[in-house]
Amino acid sequence: MKALTANDLLTGDVVFWNDGRWVGRFSGAELFDDGPADEALVAAEGQPTVVVAPYLIDLQDTAEGPVPVSYRERLRALGPTNRTDHGKQAEGGADVELLAHASGAARSTGRLDLIKRR
Amino acid sequence: MPRLIKLADGVFDWADARFRPVGDDEPVPPGDVTVSFTRFMAEGEALLSGRALAVRVEPDQPVEDLAYDLHRVAAVALAFPKFGDGRAYTSARLLRERYGYTGEVRAVGAALREQALHMVRCGFDAFEPADGSTPEDWAAAAGRYRHVYQRAADARAPAFVERGNGA
Amino acid sequence: MYRYDAIDQDFVADRSREFREQCRRRLAGELTEDQFKPLRLMNGLYLQLHAYMLRVAIPYGALSTEQLRRLAHVARVYDKGYGHFTTRTNLQLHWIKLRDMPDILDAMAEVGLHAIQTSGNCIRNVTADPYAGATAEEIDDPRVWSEAIRQWSTVHPEFSYLPRKFKIAVTAADKDRTAARSHDIGLKVVRGADGAPGFEVMVGGGQGRTPYLAPTIREFLPAGRLLSYLEAILRVYNRYGRRDNSYKARIKILVAALGAEAFTKQVEEEWAKIDGPKVDLPQAELDRIRGAFVVPPFEALPATSAAFEAAKTSDRAFARFARNNVHAHKQPGYAIVDISLKAPGETPGDCSADQMDAIADLADHYGLGDVRVTHEQNLVLPHVKLHDVHHVHAALKAIGLATANIGLVSDIIACPGLDYCALANARAIPIAQQIAERFADQDRAEAIGEMKIKISGCINACGHHHLGHVGILGVDKKGEEFYQLSLGGSGAEDASLAKILGPALPADKVVDAVEALVDAYLGVRRENERFLDTLRRVGPEPFKEAVYAEAH
Repeated sequence: MKALTANDLLTGDVVFWNDGRWVGRFSGAELFDDGPADEALVAAEGQPTVVVAPYLIDLQDTAEGPVPVSYRERLRALGPTNRTDHGKQAEGGADVELLAHASGAARSTGRLDLIKRR
Repeated sequence: MPRLIKLADGVFDWADARFRPVGDDEPVPPGDVTVSFTRFMAEGEALLSGRALAVRVEPDQPVEDLAYDLHRVAAVALAFPKFGDGRAYTSARLLRERYGYTGEVRAVGAALREQALHMVRCGFDAFEPADGSTPEDWAAAAGRYRHVYQRAADARAPAFVERGNGA
Repeated sequence: MYRYDAIDQDFVADRSREFREQCRRRLAGELTEDQFKPLRLMNGLYLQLHAYMLRVAIPYGALSTEQLRRLAHVARVYDKGYGHFTTRTNLQLHWIKLRDMPDILDAMAEVGLHAIQTSGNCIRNVTADPYAGATAEEIDDPRVWSEAIRQWSTVHPEFSYLPRKFKIAVTAADKDRTAARSHDIGLKVVRGADGAPGFEVMVGGGQGRTPYLAPTIREFLPAGRLLSYLEAILRVYNRYGRRDNSYKARIKILVAALGAEAFTKQVEEEWAKIDGPKVDLPQAELDRIRGAFVVPPFEALPATSAAFEAAKTSDRAFARFARNNVHAHKQPGYAIVDISLKAPGETPGDCSADQMDAIADLADHYGLGDVRVTHEQNLVLPHVKLHDVHHVHAALKAIGLATANIGLVSDIIACPGLDYCALANARAIPIAQQIAERFADQDRAEAIGEMKIKISGCINACGHHHLGHVGILGVDKKGEEFYQLSLGGSGAEDASLAKILGPALPADKVVDAVEALVDAYLGVRRENERFLDTLRRVGPEPFKEAVYAEAH
């Protein structure tokens, strides 16, 4: 399972793809199987004046819902751990709780692909 | 005839590209051509007679090796394989400042208007833009700074001269 | 201090206007991100995990109070009310928006601040001894030369698209507070045989993936020939530095590949061909720059201050502050005061906008309006009267900046790490905080003495872990944060590169490991031996045993 993320060009905010638009919260991210994920990525790359460097992230299923596999992506969805009053985590909510308590990790293949592509 | 941007007397304008690029294995047609540095080093004399010649130099090729023939070369095309490859800036300065070259120094390859100022200051006076830009675009980019801090191949006085602190 | 003249002002205004136009073209789709990225990097703007990060240049670590207040303003209005001082004495703002950048650059340009060349494959901010102009140890003021290099290197048309970044440090004292030998070029001001001023020139240092200490390629370069010699070095690098592999593109790789002797020969040959008078600054310009750094109007004071001594006697906390954060000044009756940005529990190097304003006030009242940044992420008030130091201390206490731990175990350098940085593999800040909290007991920290812990969240080594007495490198092992300890590095005049101690440790074992190192040191140290000295005497084995016995 995957999601598609990027940073907003104007603000630098972390954003997630949802059906052609970009949302700020991971809870609003569209979830993909592999094939449709690649199509969405191509579409996202066609928005160079909206976002920078879109890439796919791997998700894992938990009882409470999907979370990014990689710790780095959970940090992007939350905010820095030294200032929990900064970033999306400051807004609170069930998805913040879920992300903050998710454990286990792996390298995000989407991020590695992005690095390799560069 | 394809065109390029030429800088003459401080003015950017369109001009004929003039030199037809010829590959290393092609027979050289009559008329003005651009050949590679490699070919020039191998065949120089033969190529020079009866035409104006341009030599294309890749970033890792020593522009010094042209020194003895520069007075007979109408143009030197310095290549930017990527715009981030800054070796041609050094080559251009050496041509102008060390070898006193007065022919055309042309930027080819990834020549982008955002690097116009650097190119002009290093002595380029002809540009084959890779980004669809116009002479007006290049003039605007090259004219962005009222002052410069160091001397280069152009005639701009560095800040310390403007301050009255140097010759 | 150097104040911008009309030309310098014009320059940063033009730069700001240029970037405004480049942003417009990017947003209009006229520039691709690939084309725009080097342009925004050359204005210090990175895209990081959560937002854009802006790295503001603080040339040779020197700030006027007007500039410091403007940084506070920018942090407040355009960021989240704080900034982070870096190991290259710059300031990072971690929550910037691209759309605000033109206005931010304009606001900074008004007071002579900019972000020119704080990133990109160009010559970066030139750093210098933060005690310049205040210490008796220097033979000349390194800021004079740093300012000369700053101007020469700004939008240098030949050297703006180098194989990689290029970092220069200038020191002028035997005690090196700049880590000169870990730079691409380190310059040490020295006197020639006849007393003439000049430089020892070191080229090819660097950290990152493959750390090197710079060999000295020239023992003495006459001072007036500085810029032409730099031009020769940069030209050789621009031509022959590798461009095929960005991990092998720094000048340190070129120097190592050619060998110092062959590299030096190329530089000297190029230098001989350069028309010196075209490049080197005329004496009149050097004099003008030097004039900006003349000795400030010090008062004639006695060498000791009764108020200072009395405060030490009556206030234990102040006595501790005086021991650790206050250093001798060349002018009798004055002192150099270090401000630690490493309060245990805080993020190392971070400073709130309110704190910046308060420090500016302190500098104006007590410090001749002069503030410096060190490469160890602390600040300095270089000119404080001894009899004012306890007032400064009280004011610092009120804003949470009176931690008396300069150079001690809790004075940790840490990069922003995976909490902020897109390049990171692991977090650095929590490790620094945990270590600082474990050693928060100030008596204990003093008993341990000088101990420099430096933490990087990735191999790029922005936390300077190769130069730590204890270096800590965060790595990613199957998605978990692990930390590799190294021992024996030094960024001072006794420069050395830290050596890996053993296998990386999981995050929850790091603080215990550091404590084990400290205990091992305390167990065998001789009188007056710092941790580094003991390590160099006994070797790493006792420390290795202590850490890995602990870890099991």
